Amino acid sequence: MKIRLGTMFGDIIRSLFRRPATQLYPYERRPTPERLRGNLVWDPSKCTGCQLCIKDCPSDAIELIVLDKVAKKFVLRYHQDRCTYCAQCVVNCRFKCLNMDDQTWELASVNKEPFTVYYGKDEDVAFLLEKMARDNAGESGCPE
Amino acid sequence: MEAQRKFIVPIGPQHPALKEPGHFQFSVEGEIVTGATVRLGYVHRGIEKGAEARNWTQNLYLFERICGICSHVHATALALGAERLAGVEAPPRAQAIRTLMSELERIHSHMLWLGVAAHEGGFETLFMYSWRDREIVMDLLESLSGNRVNYSVNLIGGVKFDVTEKHHDEILKGIEILEERTKHYLKVVTTDRTFLARTRGVGLMTLQQAELFGAVGPTARASGVARDVRIDAPYEAYPQFPVRLVTDDGGDLLARFKVRTRELFESYRLIREILNHMPPGELTTRVPRRIPAGETISRVEAPRGELFYFIKSNGSEKPERIKVRTPSLCNWASVTQVAIGHKLADMPMILSGIDPCFSCNDRMVTINRGSSSQVWTWEELRRYGIEYYRQR
Repeated sequence: MKIRLGTMFGDIIRSLFRRPATQLYPYERRPTPERLRGNLVWDPSKCTGCQLCIKDCPSDAIELIVLDKVAKKFVLRYHQDRCTYCAQCVVNCRFKCLNMDDQTWELASVNKEPFTVYYGKDEDVAFLLEKMARDNAGESGCPE
Repeated sequence: MEAQRKFIVPIGPQHPALKEPGHFQFSVEGEIVTGATVRLGYVHRGIEKGAEARNWTQNLYLFERICGICSHVHATALALGAERLAGVEAPPRAQAIRTLMSELERIHSHMLWLGVAAHEGGFETLFMYSWRDREIVMDLLESLSGNRVNYSVNLIGGVKFDVTEKHHDEILKGIEILEERTKHYLKVVTTDRTFLARTRGVGLMTLQQAELFGAVGPTARASGVARDVRIDAPYEAYPQFPVRLVTDDGGDLLARFKVRTRELFESYRLIREILNHMPPGELTTRVPRRIPAGETISRVEAPRGELFYFIKSNGSEKPERIKVRTPSLCNWASVTQVAIGHKLADMPMILSGIDPCFSCNDRMVTINRGSSSQVWTWEELRRYGIEYYRQR
């Protein structure tokens, strides 16, 4: 084969007349693929509290807080910052309560708080948060 | 009298030549390298120990993180081993999907390498364009699995998702563009005069040397070693979709470029074949949570060469021991030998020629020296410490 110089000049010149390959991300968003594994969402109505999702989670990203086992009152605490987005919990769930959202996937915050998400019926989550606030009332919080 | 002086150029652990931490010492005589040593271990993460505290399923995801580039083959090696111990086999469709992902991953890894190697050689244009085109395969992986990098395809006993008609068309369209581009890149690396000056005859490793240093993967195949796990010990769907061996007799960097680029064509062919002859059926099979006690080895062909797993189960939910030997580790010996006689400026190219992956290498090895073990009391240890520092 003939050896020559500037074998990629053609690419460069063609690129001058083409749109940039990159995108100005926060202003310009690509549509996400259908199967994108974004943040986990939990549907409390079908959950039986079997905890199979927690058993196989590789990063301890989900906790199921049992408020009342008989009445099936559960709250799911999901740690987005620990999650590896492997979807093992979604595979494990036999009642299809877990799903990975393909729209919410951005993880950026100045503190850790927004990464702990509570899922459940509104009154259950409110009850749990109130209880936690009561339990922590006596203790002095960590200095910021 | 002229004193014997030896100049050693230390590179790393943090250095601009390669983006991962490794320490190299090149002894030089003027420009020419006369000796090379490599020191690894800066990114040891204790993965093998961590495996003992996790169950089999959790380990799939832990081992996937050994390497960010060839993540799928690691999980596959573990899943294949665990399935063998459990006496089950993933259904044919699952095997085909695993193979498909392996080949897509090989494309993404080889394209990445092409860019990195070109960058080390100062050919930034090739680097930028090959990485632009690599996005095509990254998008395919994302649309198939939902993740760009750690795809988490495997389950023990199958795969998580199916390949639909839509993906079928998407992949075919994607690899058609990639094939065109790869043809162009093959032409570039074999005909560009400036780049050939950096690759032709550089880092020459003969067939005998490759065998002696225990090189694996494309590095060995570029020296004419006919070795590929996909052919020698076919796994997954490779028996149904045989791979054609790609070798080159050159043994230099140019040959490594040629072998990896030609392997891309082989991957495109294989993907087309798998997609057109996708076996129907289930995606998973039932595997007990407790894997029966036993030992097994699992070998797969990672983009960088043969990946080896030793897996030992004690019949519980957690493995007793998993030993990993990654392909990069086998190829280091060749770098330290081949480097001798070359200019110092060629070192980044020779290093990147084996497509090194540093964090995969780092494992702890304790050498049992028989009766040399001794138990010290705190007081003895203290006295030893004082004595040691006094002598320095």
